[in-house]
Amino acid sequence: MTVNRKKQVNPVHVSALILCLLVGLILGGSGLSFLYIKNQQFALAEEIRQVERQIADARLLNETLLARVTELSSRRVLQQRIAEGLIAVKPIADNVIARLTPPAAAVEDGVLRTAFNEGTRQ
Amino acid sequence: MKWTARTRTVLVCALAAGVFTAFSYRLVDLQVTQHEDYAMQAAEKHTMRKVLHARRGLIFDRNGELLASNLPVRTIVADGSHIRDPAAAAKVVAPFLEMEESELRTKLDSKKKYIVLQRKLAEDKALELAKAIRDADIRGIYSEPDAVRIYPNGQMLGHVLGFLNHEGRGVQGIEMTMEEALCGQDGYRYIEHDRTGREIMLYRGQEKPPLHGLNVRLTIDMGLQAILEDELDSSFRDLRPEMAVAILLDPKTGEVLAMTNRPCFDPNFPGDSKPEQMKNRAIVDMVEPGSTFKIVVASAALTEHTVTEKTTIYCEGGSFAYGGRILRDHHGYGALTLHDILVKSSNIGSAKMALMMGDAKYYEYVRRFGFGDRTGIELPGEISGLVHPPSRWDKLTITRMPMGQSVCVTPLQIAVGMSVIANGGNLVAPQVVRSIEDADGQVVAERPPRVVRRVIPEGVAGFVSNALGGVVGEGGTAQLARVAGFQVAGKTGTAQKVSPKGGYAAGKYVVSFVGYLPQEDPRFVCLVLMDDPKLASNLAYGGLVAGPIFSRIGERAARYLDLVPALRAEKAGPLALAGGTKERTN
Repeated sequence: MTVNRKKQVNPVHVSALILCLLVGLILGGSGLSFLYIKNQQFALAEEIRQVERQIADARLLNETLLARVTELSSRRVLQQRIAEGLIAVKPIADNVIARLTPPAAAVEDGVLRTAFNEGTRQ
Repeated sequence: MKWTARTRTVLVCALAAGVFTAFSYRLVDLQVTQHEDYAMQAAEKHTMRKVLHARRGLIFDRNGELLASNLPVRTIVADGSHIRDPAAAAKVVAPFLEMEESELRTKLDSKKKYIVLQRKLAEDKALELAKAIRDADIRGIYSEPDAVRIYPNGQMLGHVLGFLNHEGRGVQGIEMTMEEALCGQDGYRYIEHDRTGREIMLYRGQEKPPLHGLNVRLTIDMGLQAILEDELDSSFRDLRPEMAVAILLDPKTGEVLAMTNRPCFDPNFPGDSKPEQMKNRAIVDMVEPGSTFKIVVASAALTEHTVTEKTTIYCEGGSFAYGGRILRDHHGYGALTLHDILVKSSNIGSAKMALMMGDAKYYEYVRRFGFGDRTGIELPGEISGLVHPPSRWDKLTITRMPMGQSVCVTPLQIAVGMSVIANGGNLVAPQVVRSIEDADGQVVAERPPRVVRRVIPEGVAGFVSNALGGVVGEGGTAQLARVAGFQVAGKTGTAQKVSPKGGYAAGKYVVSFVGYLPQEDPRFVCLVLMDDPKLASNLAYGGLVAGPIFSRIGERAARYLDLVPALRAEKAGPLALAGGTKERTN
């Protein structure tokens, strides 16, 4: 049997090829996208972790400073500093005091005064 | 069998199918049959439950001054299985810890998964350590957040605030009673970590955020507390008593404005103090109150119409035989009115009033004044005192109890009892907690003032108050308790100290003064009590020892509260201990 090879047709199935390519592309693309998104997730998660750490550090620093400020402005420390002469307490002039309690005169002589017996203190 | 291409093909396919079947079987075995076991093993290796610590709530005074806060620190831990070179790690880490390099190396060599290297490392040191670890590329050393409680005012208010134990739980004071509100609730987070121990954020699991502790606002006013501490401190140094207590109370609401004891301790360093220093003696110690207790019999006798304001009682010239014993006054008095019995602090007059009332009625009023019951203040360890029922009294008790013997009370009960007179006859429950607030300052729970009961009518309270005003006047036992510009009312107490061996200790006295001002509209009740001040026994009187301290506290407190003086501001007499009245008031 003689066969004319020239007459033999080996058609390229373009549609099938395109389908295969398309499927391949879709699968490959999906895989790459998955990887990309996964990497993105990891990167974002890492960023979130860093930000969380920064916030936590800032909070800690804030709390540390608050504790230090509280201690330094406590009555104990302030009184100690007054005693050491590092700070001084200046009397407030009477004309700049805004009184919540309305000033009233003493019953007997009508003179305004505050309580005192400091001079007799032992 | 013919070895054809087809045969070979079938054979190869069968072989391939067999291999794949074997693998598939193993896969199913791993993924389905043994899934639970392997999942658990994987979870154990990579998943951990991370505790999210709740922050302990803060404590404020009534004006928002911070009394207890948290200082962040770090706990340094190691995972021995992650450390490649323990020697190198020890060399880098040891300088930051309070530990020798060799000791640290021994710990790291143990290869345990959780080794605590140091607790409570300061935050700045921990940051330096973290940097050194990063620079040296060392794995396996980690830090965990922690906090220490700090009390910025040191000893001031230490007994009221209390402190925490090593587990961070309150063991005394407000820290203990308000533990539930203050401690909050730890949260958790399930995390996965890689083989270097770093969290894989993507695989974070279930999470429950921590509920931070609530803040507690006290009724204490630190301005008044500082005055009280200062005055009691200097008196404690001068007079060297066994113990001293001072309390400032708002008689209308029962709010404790200030409370202090000596000896005291610093709650920042509770381990440095002896148990004796840590006792809040205002509520856990009981004393015989002495003549301050006479307000009970006077109020009761008036309320029950046993006596009237004008009734006179013969005081036997200072010596009254009853029950086979002689009861004495320190001065001989004849007939005294109720007013004078209080002003002169007559023991005989008080005893006779109680006798006229009878055991049961008198006992009823003692209890109505709150003696013998815990006041219910939000502080731990409060005792109820000791008030025996009439069935356990001997013949002398009815004459001894009115002058503050044969009865034991806490200093706080004395102050609360005086509040009954100051506020017009109501027994108010003392309180030291004002409100509980969240982190934003929103009030979560409030503690309104609570009137326990009406004890005596307003008129009776007014009469007794008037008599108590005479106690600091001419002829009274507490002239040194006056506060210039204000009418003070109060009562002295000088009780012989009970000996642990039985009976009374010779030459030892518990001296006190409890009073309030301004008498017409009391803003505070103040108790000053000292146990065995080191003075000659002829000077150890409530009016001479506690009175002047009250005067100084009252004067400074009045100025602090900006009270308007209503009296001519006379210069008070010298506040010397010598040369005062010579009558002992019980």
